Amino acid sequence: MSFSAPPPASGEPYVLSASLDNARHLSSLLRAVHFQDHATCFATASGLRVTVEDAKCIQANAFIQAEIFQEFAVQEESVMFRINLSVLLDCLTIFGTSSLPGTSTALRMCYRGYGYPLMLFLEEGGVVTVCKINTQEPEDLLDFDFCSTKVVNKIILQSEGLREAFAELDMTSEVLQITMSPDKPYFRLSTFGNAGSAHLDYPRDSDLMEAFHCNQTQTNRYKISLLKPSTKALALSCKVSIRTDAQGFLSLQYMIRNEDGQICFVEYYCCPDENITEAEL
Amino acid sequence: MFFQHYCWTAVSDPCHKEKELSLPCKLIVKAVLPVFRCANVLGRNVEKCSISTSPSDHHITFQLLCKHGVVKTYNLTFQECDPLQAVFAKHMCPNILKVHSRLLADVMIHFPTSQEEITLSVTPVKVCFKSYTEEDTDFSRTMVTEIHLSPEEFDYFQVGVDSEVTFCLKELRGLLAFSEATGVPVSIHFDRCGKPIAFSIEDVLLEASLILATLCEAQKEADSQERCCPQQWGSSETHPDKPSGDEPNSTDISKHPQRDGNAPTNPVAKQEVKSIPRVTGRDVTGRAGTATAEAAGEATEAPYQKFHSLFFGAVSYKEKDATGHTFQSLATASDTEEDLGPLQSSPVL
Repeated sequence: MSFSAPPPASGEPYVLSASLDNARHLSSLLRAVHFQDHATCFATASGLRVTVEDAKCIQANAFIQAEIFQEFAVQEESVMFRINLSVLLDCLTIFGTSSLPGTSTALRMCYRGYGYPLMLFLEEGGVVTVCKINTQEPEDLLDFDFCSTKVVNKIILQSEGLREAFAELDMTSEVLQITMSPDKPYFRLSTFGNAGSAHLDYPRDSDLMEAFHCNQTQTNRYKISLLKPSTKALALSCKVSIRTDAQGFLSLQYMIRNEDGQICFVEYYCCPDENITEAEL
Repeated sequence: MFFQHYCWTAVSDPCHKEKELSLPCKLIVKAVLPVFRCANVLGRNVEKCSISTSPSDHHITFQLLCKHGVVKTYNLTFQECDPLQAVFAKHMCPNILKVHSRLLADVMIHFPTSQEEITLSVTPVKVCFKSYTEEDTDFSRTMVTEIHLSPEEFDYFQVGVDSEVTFCLKELRGLLAFSEATGVPVSIHFDRCGKPIAFSIEDVLLEASLILATLCEAQKEADSQERCCPQQWGSSETHPDKPSGDEPNSTDISKHPQRDGNAPTNPVAKQEVKSIPRVTGRDVTGRAGTATAEAAGEATEAPYQKFHSLFFGAVSYKEKDATGHTFQSLATASDTEEDLGPLQSSPVL
């Protein structure tokens, strides 16, 4: 159920207005990238992109394309603002996070432009909540310059095979080492923790492996604390693509199917860890 | 029989002749647990588990071959150690109960999880589990639980001497969970208070024992013969009887001042209780069953009215292999203390 927002006093249209029958379609994706308090929202006619970064090393993007919304209108070429993601999520889930069958929270989102707050109208069961969240100057975002031509190794895995592994990563290890190779061990995740090392090997002919394109043996290490939040995205997704480029930059792309069967994407980019010491067994 | 394939290559080390046939080592439990997390998931996903070790680089490797061709390899470091041997002869215990773990678990459920110690009291006609409370507990604020069982509930019931033993409940819960998982009944061997109590499970494939110290409380009566006598624990394997206690470890009771009167020594008791869980891995040997004779023989101190305990870690071992390495345990109530050394073999537990 959608409802129209009151017309703005000045007569200017909202630069961004969107309606969504089920706010969970948005909140669950945002949660998958929620590892920092602040996020940058970038809206174009094709949809909404929410970006979260940390330590200048890791960036996560959640894409919610315009087709997911019942109504999605962007008046300018693009709209960009920075917002407190924790507050935004709290508002989107203001009626609670548990989903009873048949009930959903309807959302209308309006943004008047630079300097104005983001307005949320949420309704469930006849109860309406209005939220106004202040927006901030958008900050420069990292550009990992990751395009398909620069990809050295790429695999696509079914998420169910990785979920348990990521959830159980030895967090006493500082790094997660990823090895991708046309030869054994093909695809290996390794940690080096207090008690010893752990390796998880996925063979190229595993039925979890949907695509395997590895041209070169690469071993890269990433700070495990930075990658751990990607577990949330992994939990929601059905497939994940793992790519590395010549410099060892990592791209993880998660394909997420929402309750209505629509497809959305979340991606994580991560820089390799510079402090590389010899890998111990 | 438990393993599909079991291969042991003895690495003989000229310096440690007696260790030729075994590789005693210890791993951090926290490191091993994640390997076998989620037993139910393991059953579905893991096809095979292979455990191998190369003593030279102090690693044990657990390799799990899972569904979809996934291989998980864990290389855990271990430390060599001198394993603690429990000095306890189960067959010498006058009281033996055998019961399915389900019954015990059902009993323990009634005690709050914060309950540290419970008391098991037996007579030939009755068994009672009750929560243990310190003398100075404010009873108006405490919940005390008592559960009475009749001998018929036990698969095997033998009570040679009426006794009331108090031991740590928390440690027992782990063994009970294990026993339920394996479906093997639990045997309880014990004696009077002050002597250890053993909970064990035995099966064709495995054996596990949990030996706990029990509280020895001063009786209120003046009759000192009824009191449990202190046991002198040595502080190292090579000095089995050093009552004067040079080592300032927490189980050394000879340092405590002698008390008289009938008042139970609660501050000491409390202190000792807290220290039980930390007394593991120490090289302590002692002699069970020698207490009475010993204390009577020693002229140095009068009977103590205090609490003392020694906590042994769980002792579990595989079945004897063909070479039949002996499980060292000092058992009998012998008065030839000097003979007892760590290498003496005696009836296996």
